Amino acid sequence: MSAARDLVGVAVNGLLARKVRTALLLLGPVIGVAAIVAAVGLTDSAKGDLKRKVDELGTNLIEATAASSFGGQDAKLPKDAVERARTVTTVESVSAVLELQNIVVTPYEEAAENFETVPVPVLAADTLLPGVLDVPMVSGRWLNEFDDGVSSRAAVIGIGLARQFDVLPGEVRSLLLNGIEYSVIGIVDGVELEPAFDTAVFITFQRAADDFLPDEAVDGDVVLANKLYVRSVENREDETAEALKVAVNLGGPNEVQTELKSEALELAAQSDRQLQLIVVSMGLLAIIVGGIGIANVMSISVIQRSTEIGIRRALGHTRGTIAAQFILEAIAVGFFGGLLGVAVGVGAIAIGVTVAGWVFTLQPMLVPLGVVLAMVISVVAGLYPATRAARLEPLETLRLG
Amino acid sequence: MDDTPVSSPAPLLELDRVSRLYGHGDAAVAALKEVSLQIMPGDFMSIMGPSGSGKSTMLGLLGCLDVPSSGVIRVGGVDVTELDDDDRSRVRGDRIGFVFQQFHLIPHLDAVSNVETALLYRGIRPKDRRARSLAALDQVGLAHRHDHRPVQLSGGEQQRVALARALVTEPSIVLGDEPTGALDSKNAEHVMEIFASLQAPERAIVLVTHDPAVGEAAHRRVRMRDGSIVADERAVPT
Repeated sequence: MSAARDLVGVAVNGLLARKVRTALLLLGPVIGVAAIVAAVGLTDSAKGDLKRKVDELGTNLIEATAASSFGGQDAKLPKDAVERARTVTTVESVSAVLELQNIVVTPYEEAAENFETVPVPVLAADTLLPGVLDVPMVSGRWLNEFDDGVSSRAAVIGIGLARQFDVLPGEVRSLLLNGIEYSVIGIVDGVELEPAFDTAVFITFQRAADDFLPDEAVDGDVVLANKLYVRSVENREDETAEALKVAVNLGGPNEVQTELKSEALELAAQSDRQLQLIVVSMGLLAIIVGGIGIANVMSISVIQRSTEIGIRRALGHTRGTIAAQFILEAIAVGFFGGLLGVAVGVGAIAIGVTVAGWVFTLQPMLVPLGVVLAMVISVVAGLYPATRAARLEPLETLRLG
Repeated sequence: MDDTPVSSPAPLLELDRVSRLYGHGDAAVAALKEVSLQIMPGDFMSIMGPSGSGKSTMLGLLGCLDVPSSGVIRVGGVDVTELDDDDRSRVRGDRIGFVFQQFHLIPHLDAVSNVETALLYRGIRPKDRRARSLAALDQVGLAHRHDHRPVQLSGGEQQRVALARALVTEPSIVLGDEPTGALDSKNAEHVMEIFASLQAPERAIVLVTHDPAVGEAAHRRVRMRDGSIVADERAVPT
């Protein structure tokens, strides 16, 4: 233990005594590690806002859609699709919707001509949809079970449509669906994973059946949905999606297609791997060249310090301690060069992020990784000079007599 | 040859028919030819001879910096020719203190750190190491300049720091290589005074020199020529 402490003291003294040389030694690892950290950090930060969005929205939203095996347009899910979906153990919550076709939405009669050409999606939805999509109300409330029973017609609209129709929050408003007047009872916020909902109108299944659907769309007293939104347990999305296909369909005539809603967003949030690879390679090259520099400078240093080495040998220091002294200097250069390189790299990311308006993103593993890489390169570079130092014969360096 | 009484103490260092050849085969040159020498406790010895007489080779062997081509060297009864490099280094560090003509201080270390270098890797606590080094500097009259680096010291002072470094390990043999060769006469005198004051019954001082003034300060004078010892006299120092 005490020998190790002595060694550290000697190595630190050796480095501090020749500050310019030590600075030169540090340059290689600093530049290399800084380049690598900055390269990875900047390419990550460029997509930082998307990455954060993925984290926020969660990656576990699955859409299960009915699809006709024979290419029919009007495929429906079985009537107990929601219950069947809940039998999948990795399912957390389920909501059913039905996309209604050919409904013209207008804010009021007189404006019909202006709005007929703008397609507005109209959906029949159950009471659970906002919970499953994790989307808040901007004003008013979502549809509830009483809206099914009463004779008044209630609709919830997306925030985008509200802006389009100039609906003020809290304003008593109605709109026309194929000329039938519906009261707007709430405005729902935008759904990142389902942008079409921004401009959609939501009504209850019962209303949809009464006002718009043909009789065959109703099985018994249940209105058939054509789409499920499902939240799965985190990180079990793929197997949940597979299980849903089987569980919802159960051998029925229509197929069920599933889609992970966050997949496209995740893809968009992926860093530019090619660019990252190129810059990281350049960083690696820099650190290797830096390592060669270390080997060079230390070899010269061994020649310059041959007398010191001879003195130490004459004082009884073994070859091992001489070699260890130089290796330790290399380790210190790698450690501090690595730390400094990480600091410079983080600084570069911070500047780049500020200039470009990105979101600062740094994988924490890069910090220890950068330091360890610098240390490994430095030690490898220090091996040859250290061996040479240990082999020096004191008699040859001290010039006796 | 051997005129020491049977009851005399064991030699601190002993060369037994030691030869040192340089080169190989027919081209080999013998720098030392079957030399035998016993360095006894209390000896104040000078080894003198002209250039090429084998002084430097002798110094390397006495200091365990070199191994002989044949013969045996015993330090404190241990045959160092049988030891590996590490063990020989340890014997050197424990038993022998060097003083060089060119002082050979480590330039980036201050005086006390230079002295401390001799005590590294011995399991001595830093505090004790510093205390012992300061004491050794005090012994050569330089305690007050302990924080000066070699460039800030005169030649005489540097050699005294080197002396402190040689003494701090309490070696049984202090080996001087032309220790006054790089000093003016006043400083040389001072350094020789310190050498003289270092004489102790348990310790030997060996000075390799071609300076008669240094050689004649010693009580035991060994003369070399052409790789052999030609004289080994005891005398009252002048």
